[in-house]
Amino acid sequence: MTDRLRQRLRRRPRFWAAMFAIGVGVVAALRLTDAVDANTGFLLFVAAMGLTAPMYRALRRQNECGQGGTAALRYAGGMIVAACGYVLGLGAATAIDRSIGLGPGAAVVVALLPALPIIWMIYVMARYLREEGDEYLRHRATIAALVGLGVVLAAGSLWGFLEMFGVVPHAPGWWCVPLWAIGMALGQAWLAIRDRTGSEA
Amino acid sequence: MNNRLKVLRAERGWSQQDLAERLMVSRQSVNAIETGKYDPSLPLAFRIADLFDTRIEAIFLRD
Repeated sequence: MTDRLRQRLRRRPRFWAAMFAIGVGVVAALRLTDAVDANTGFLLFVAAMGLTAPMYRALRRQNECGQGGTAALRYAGGMIVAACGYVLGLGAATAIDRSIGLGPGAAVVVALLPALPIIWMIYVMARYLREEGDEYLRHRATIAALVGLGVVLAAGSLWGFLEMFGVVPHAPGWWCVPLWAIGMALGQAWLAIRDRTGSEA
Repeated sequence: MNNRLKVLRAERGWSQQDLAERLMVSRQSVNAIETGKYDPSLPLAFRIADLFDTRIEAIFLRD
């Protein structure tokens, strides 16, 4: 890979988004296969979150060059803050739960540590839909969010019945947001491919 | 809905990016409208018509 190509790649937010997704995927795989313990996994997740800083810088540079609107930049910034808050909140909540026995009141407070950043993510999405001035991009985001919702409802219903008949184990309710995000990403990918079909070079 | 946006744009020698900047929308919006994948709202359709100094019906046609 030439230096020029490497530099061009580093300027692209998608490059950093892909690096971040790969990083998170690798850490998740390491944890799921018990290749690393919970503490190491948490530290690796925090390290992977560090990739969001160059991603945001690349987005800001792109925005300064007139590509992508302010709403999209605020959305990306809000989502990065929420994702960092989620990882730190989840790590802190798990660590507190392991180290001290929690009473019911304290457990509610600790449960809020990872839950609040997730609620913030949903707010950031709603804020983006309100602020995005480009109606087509707003339409795309709405369709992608609906695809995400469809995935959550379909997977939730299917899993619920499979669980009821003892086919699968119980799944925690917090899975709904990651599933929604996966569905939304699939929706955006489908729309991006559809846009490229017949588009001008 | 069919439209003559691509023809009108080509007549003026504008790229999709040029048209997008004049309409203050993204290039993806122009592309989606031109290829018939997205029908613009009435306010945007009026903006397009004003830019080309014509009527909406002269740009957007029934299927």
